[in-house]
Amino acid sequence: MRKTVRVLSVLAVFLAAGALAQVFTWPAKWTTAKPGEAKPGGTMIDSTISDFRTMNPFVTAEAGNIPDLMTMNGMGLAMRDPTTGEWIPYMATSWEVSEDQTEITFKIRKGMKWSDGKPITADDWIMTYTIHMDPDVGSNSRDSFFIGDKAVKIEKIDDYTLKFVYPKPDAEAFAIASFTPWPAHVFGPVYKEKGAEGIKGMWGLNEDPKNIVTAGPFVVEAYRAGERVILKKNPYFGEWNKDEAGKPLPYLDRYQVNIYKDTNAELAAFLTGEIDVFNPGTVEQIAQIKKAIKAGKLDATLKVNASPIASSQFIVFNWNKKSDRFKERLFRSAKFRKAMSHLVNRQAIVDVVYGGLGTPTYGSVYPVLKQWINPDAPKYPYDPKKAAQLLAELGFKKKDKQGYLVDAEGRRLEFNLSTNAGNNQREQIAKIFVDEAKKVGVKINFRPIDFNTLVGQLLAKGDDRPFDAIIIGLTGGGLDWPFGSNVVPCKGNLHLWNRANKCLDPRETLMEALYYKGRTTLDFKERVKIGYRIQEVEGDLQPLVYIAGPNYHVAWNNKLAGFHPDEIISSIWGAYELPLLYQAK
Amino acid sequence: MSAYIVRRLIHLIPTFLGATFLAFMVLQVAPGDFLTQWELDPKIRPETIELMRHNFGLDRPPLLQYLIWLKNLLHGDLGISFMYQQPVLEVIWPRIENSLVLVVLSVLFLYLIGIPVGVFQAVRPYTLPDYLVSFLAYFGIAIPNFFFMLILIFLLVKFKYAYGWTPFPIGGMTSQGFEQLPYWRQWLDILWHAVLPAFVVVTADLSGLTRVMRAQMMEVLGQDYIRTARAKGLAERVVLYKHALRNAVIPIIANIGGLLPGLIGGAGLVEVVANWPGITPLLLDALNRQDLYVNAGIIALSSFLLILGNILGDLLLAVVDPRIRYG
Repeated sequence: MRKTVRVLSVLAVFLAAGALAQVFTWPAKWTTAKPGEAKPGGTMIDSTISDFRTMNPFVTAEAGNIPDLMTMNGMGLAMRDPTTGEWIPYMATSWEVSEDQTEITFKIRKGMKWSDGKPITADDWIMTYTIHMDPDVGSNSRDSFFIGDKAVKIEKIDDYTLKFVYPKPDAEAFAIASFTPWPAHVFGPVYKEKGAEGIKGMWGLNEDPKNIVTAGPFVVEAYRAGERVILKKNPYFGEWNKDEAGKPLPYLDRYQVNIYKDTNAELAAFLTGEIDVFNPGTVEQIAQIKKAIKAGKLDATLKVNASPIASSQFIVFNWNKKSDRFKERLFRSAKFRKAMSHLVNRQAIVDVVYGGLGTPTYGSVYPVLKQWINPDAPKYPYDPKKAAQLLAELGFKKKDKQGYLVDAEGRRLEFNLSTNAGNNQREQIAKIFVDEAKKVGVKINFRPIDFNTLVGQLLAKGDDRPFDAIIIGLTGGGLDWPFGSNVVPCKGNLHLWNRANKCLDPRETLMEALYYKGRTTLDFKERVKIGYRIQEVEGDLQPLVYIAGPNYHVAWNNKLAGFHPDEIISSIWGAYELPLLYQAK
Repeated sequence: MSAYIVRRLIHLIPTFLGATFLAFMVLQVAPGDFLTQWELDPKIRPETIELMRHNFGLDRPPLLQYLIWLKNLLHGDLGISFMYQQPVLEVIWPRIENSLVLVVLSVLFLYLIGIPVGVFQAVRPYTLPDYLVSFLAYFGIAIPNFFFMLILIFLLVKFKYAYGWTPFPIGGMTSQGFEQLPYWRQWLDILWHAVLPAFVVVTADLSGLTRVMRAQMMEVLGQDYIRTARAKGLAERVVLYKHALRNAVIPIIANIGGLLPGLIGGAGLVEVVANWPGITPLLLDALNRQDLYVNAGIIALSSFLLILGNILGDLLLAVVDPRIRYG
């Protein structure tokens, strides 16, 4: 870590005159453009499916809202280098980690300015943190400042020095510290005068864009309800963000995001050149883009299967079924779950459900998080013979008249499976699984139900929960520590298979212990080792039977250039760094 | 007459209460609430969700929620949108304005095209032009609006590929660079975008109206007083427009009141397909996300307008038809 800090301090050009900014230089290896090639000017037009809700960073609930657009999806003291995944100083110039790893002191970059020209200082971080932490504001970021039940604290040492104090060493220490600051001179007075209610009333969609202030490369110029938001270049950003040739960033004058309620409309807009970037989600969409490019009607670049997406589908079996001891014993048996994993025809699912554009998964760590994947973790791939053998070991040796397996007492191997109705992909997955299971004699009754009812069943607590098996997915999962804080620990609310509020299997206890050990290890390599160990235990326990996930594809119009090199195009890093994009044609 | 109006307005109250109560309860019966979507998010703690549920008042019994909502409604407060964290009226009003553009334009199309075409058919029944228009009308009734719009967009994309430009924009309400246009050009730009979706919205109604108008007109033209008028030697134009049309148009006028809720109900799925930022996309979003007060607000507004529209329709009828008197 320290080495990176040094390298970057060299990269940042220190200028003797105090008035001049300490510049952050965007490495040329993050873009395909040659240094000096990019010209200033032009507009990039992006698109989104859901309407924007607010310009207010403290009430925004979903990703991709206007505050995110203005700040490159979040900018903070540190940022990740997409080529290595490591944290490098961004709005800070350097940091120091205390001996016991519970304190990190950041030196804030000097000369940074808000889009209204006022300087960015330690007070802005303190005010932003204070408002996020006020429970009455209801900020979605509040939880990110907690480690377990204890909050991270921030102290201002001086105008350009901040100290973060963590309750214990934490894998996500830098992620927590890298929250986006917002101007204290705008939010502070309102907060002092009117408190949380005052903050909630600010920066709605009807706000005059003149009042919006950001540290990011673009600031709102106009918003048209349900249609588009237009952002214009923040000239002060270029004072401390330069390319390797010393040119101020961003290159583009404007960044616009159009809203389409319908993916077909979005695709049509890309095909006719109305929008510049598009993430095709289906084979049909990819085929249409390919056809248009081939016919010479669209000058675009298409990257298919650039990486898996950080999400996956899995089957969860309910360990808490007091009312049906037969099923409960079955679902609690790792052997049974391994047999079920052997019945999941992942290749067929990738081919049928994702049109060949997906990736099979065998564990909780998403395949896109390459550095975390333990290649030696146990896997139970599609193999009906092995499944039948494991089920025979569990006592299911004979078949009844209908051809379903029964145990010595004549009880049939049968359970219910559900997923959220209307999710075609999950319904298709379920059907493939049900068919394969039938072949070896397992009877599965599949019935999709409404999403909210499903969530209610999944999150039910206690020793008798109202479902057998459910196909569902989770997204997220960090680069710092890819295991969920409320998934792995036995008391977590997303410990979906067992909500008895205690560990039932010694392997659960072990995974929980390893989870906390990794979470409190600051050293990355050490942490990866613990992550490997978790995956071994997880493979053996098979708490969830993982299935597959879709891949990430991206297409862009060639009138823009400066996208990522192929190696770093992925669902995690995206296809570009916004400040480095420029108009080529 | 005024006593009648007062009576109708008093009738409005129980109807309105019943409609909103029913709607509110149906919304509550759906499993889960606005916060359910976050319960599977590994980044959000369950305590936070409980806190928000409390702050939004979603932990209260539904009946109490309804009464509080009703009380606030009397003060002109429709509540807060959970999605937008803004007052409901501020969220839905700009969308209603957008929808109004489409709906007003399509109502204009409806009467300006529907009535003359119906008359055109009625004066030359069972001829080739009549059959041709009837065929188009049946086509218009049969084709679902959203599908018609999709076909038009498909054709526009093909057109764009072939010629590099399009006679009408491919969806949306304003062009790129709209903000820089002078005021009157902005209006022209919106109109240009609105023509196609407005026409699509009105196809089914338009087809229906020409059929009704044709039948009405043919019936009236067969009446004795028309023969009398002709016998008096009146010009055919006067017979048609002064005597026949005025009688034939009465049931159509009675229907105008029914258009009022449509005005805020928006143009339906056509808005979604044509990417028109009207009220329908917002309503669909709100229904999907269980944004309770946005849904309740839109339902309250449209049921209020429906009732008001019916009264207006009845009153209009009295104005155009001297045989009708309300005591």
